[in-house]
Amino acid sequence: MTEFFQSWGLPYEWAWGIATVAGILLIALPLMLAVAMVIYAERRMWAAFALRRGPNVVGPFGLLQSFADGLKVMLQETIIPSAANKGIFLIAPIITFTVALMAWAVIPFNSGAVLADINVGLLYVLAISSLGVYGVVMAGWASNSKYPFFSAMRAAAQMISYEVSIGFILICVVLWAGTFNMNEIVKAQQGALFGVLNGFAFIPLLFPMWVLFLISSMAETARTPFDLTEAESELVAGYQTEYSSMAFALYWLGEYANVLLMCTLNAVLFWGGWLPPVDWAPLYLVPGVVWLLLKTFVFFFIFAWVKATVPRFRYDQLMRLGWKIFLPLSLIFVVLVSGWLMFTRYGVAA
Amino acid sequence: MESLVVDLSQYLPILIFLVIALALSAAFVFLPMGVARLTGTHKPDAEKLSEYECGFPAFEDPRSQFDVRFYLVAILFIVFDLEAAFLFPWAVSLDMTGWPGWITMMVFLFELAIGLAYAWKKGALEWE
Amino acid sequence: MIQTLAFYIFASLVIASAVMVIMSRNPVHSVLWLIVAFFNAAGLMVLVGAEFIAMLLVIVYVGAVAVLFLFVVMMLDIDFAELRAGFVKNFPLGLAIALVLLAEMVMGLGAYKAGGMQLGTPDGTAAAAVGASNIKAIGALLYSKYLFLFESAGIILLVAMIGAIVLTHRQRGDTRGQVISRQVARRPEEATVNTQPEVGKGVQL
Repeated sequence: MTEFFQSWGLPYEWAWGIATVAGILLIALPLMLAVAMVIYAERRMWAAFALRRGPNVVGPFGLLQSFADGLKVMLQETIIPSAANKGIFLIAPIITFTVALMAWAVIPFNSGAVLADINVGLLYVLAISSLGVYGVVMAGWASNSKYPFFSAMRAAAQMISYEVSIGFILICVVLWAGTFNMNEIVKAQQGALFGVLNGFAFIPLLFPMWVLFLISSMAETARTPFDLTEAESELVAGYQTEYSSMAFALYWLGEYANVLLMCTLNAVLFWGGWLPPVDWAPLYLVPGVVWLLLKTFVFFFIFAWVKATVPRFRYDQLMRLGWKIFLPLSLIFVVLVSGWLMFTRYGVAA
Repeated sequence: MESLVVDLSQYLPILIFLVIALALSAAFVFLPMGVARLTGTHKPDAEKLSEYECGFPAFEDPRSQFDVRFYLVAILFIVFDLEAAFLFPWAVSLDMTGWPGWITMMVFLFELAIGLAYAWKKGALEWE
Repeated sequence: MIQTLAFYIFASLVIASAVMVIMSRNPVHSVLWLIVAFFNAAGLMVLVGAEFIAMLLVIVYVGAVAVLFLFVVMMLDIDFAELRAGFVKNFPLGLAIALVLLAEMVMGLGAYKAGGMQLGTPDGTAAAAVGASNIKAIGALLYSKYLFLFESAGIILLVAMIGAIVLTHRQRGDTRGQVISRQVARRPEEATVNTQPEVGKGVQL
């Protein structure tokens, strides 16, 4: 994009700066629009699962429902409880939403179309997603109220428990791709199976890892069946109980931005990102970003499907799944995957 | 592309992104507060500002002492996170270190597998 | 130019937030300032080209260690007035530790000038042994040359884990765990009986 602005006769630095800011806005603004539409889409899907109508009044087919909701919360009063620690209470939603946006900086949308093409892209995603816990914990603590505090502690323990296995799962991906650069990881998936199918998930050794990653990403974003942080029958609304107006809406936006991010990561790390599913030349005529969006939406549908059909876990079940099943399984697969690669790729030459 | 020298111009967009994202979220939080004052919806009173409870004032300080088990989970998380941190450079340098590097890591993983087995046996992974 | 500017911004923010860590009255605020300090330190690491270390700093220190700190200061009922009263008593000790750290830094700088472990050269250029990116170079060195140090790190982690479990794990004893295999193995015949009680008579269970 820098060349485009340079063609206007701007010096390189200016062109680069404008192109970067334009790129950032090109990620952030469509993302917020996508979040609004995805909330609407998900409500329609749940309604369909439960044989209800769902939002269908505001605009054609109710398409503008999310915008009406947004306008409503925008005009509401922001209530700051008198017992709350005001500074942290207001910073917490800012952090949640900032973190939810930041991770998108390294997601490749097409070949080379990535805002920050850094060597350690995957580690950056891991680092940013490990910050997500702070928005929740700070909100819970600053509210100075029982339900948010319990919810924050649950959320923290839950998120860190599943981050452990996510780390080991990602190592399996990195072992196969041989790099942490997100764009290179996508390229490494070209013809992953018999040179025909694009995507690590087609490799039998990595398919179980994808299943673990999908479930862990639901736990990491605290979606049903792992939404113990806002179990409404026990904790009212969890860490958001004391929030109102746009500060409350930021948690929603952040949550859905994170869900979209996890869906995109599923697509990028295991299902070939912007590559078409089959390595067949005519399919490359479709722009890569279309493939990525299609895959992302398929995973979002799976998320909505699970949320509509699966009952909530108990906290001890959640912890057992994370520490006693996912952690040992992912560790064993690190050994298996690396051993297989040693015998087939790295070990033979040495 | 995976470059040998760290390309700082790839990190500058992240910094700019951080500034824009922070400004955007701060605007989202503080703008409605101003709007509410203008439109007159901003009418706080003592009951509205009290914490969410079932009609009574809270009996005790909400920031009560918590079960030590949360603390144990956090420590176990640090240990396994560090283990993962050691695995990251190993995963991309296997082509250079070859079999010795692989065997080294297997020994390392075995050491931690002992730890995991110990935690399991002791019931530290149990959430009663 | 931007690099120099970024360096001074990050460096002054590190120092400012580190000062806030010890100046804050509320320990939770202290931990949050500590996180800000870690962040800016990561920014400094990126500036010197150590991108892997920068990411690790965020993943390990911000993502894990600070969470533990936050857990501790949020969950333990510490009497802060009492803690602050101990400040004057412990001040000489703190000063002594600060002096030791300062001396170590001076010695470290001296050692750096003397050259040394062949990791890098004294004039600041990186070790040219491995022609690969940052993270690969670390891996190639750590898992071949510094193999025993790496294994001892594993032992230390094991000891830390066992120590934490021994110190903090308490068996509650009054709770009933779920045994899935027993639940699944249970059959309707064991749990239910069909009876045909006569009218007016109860059922013996």
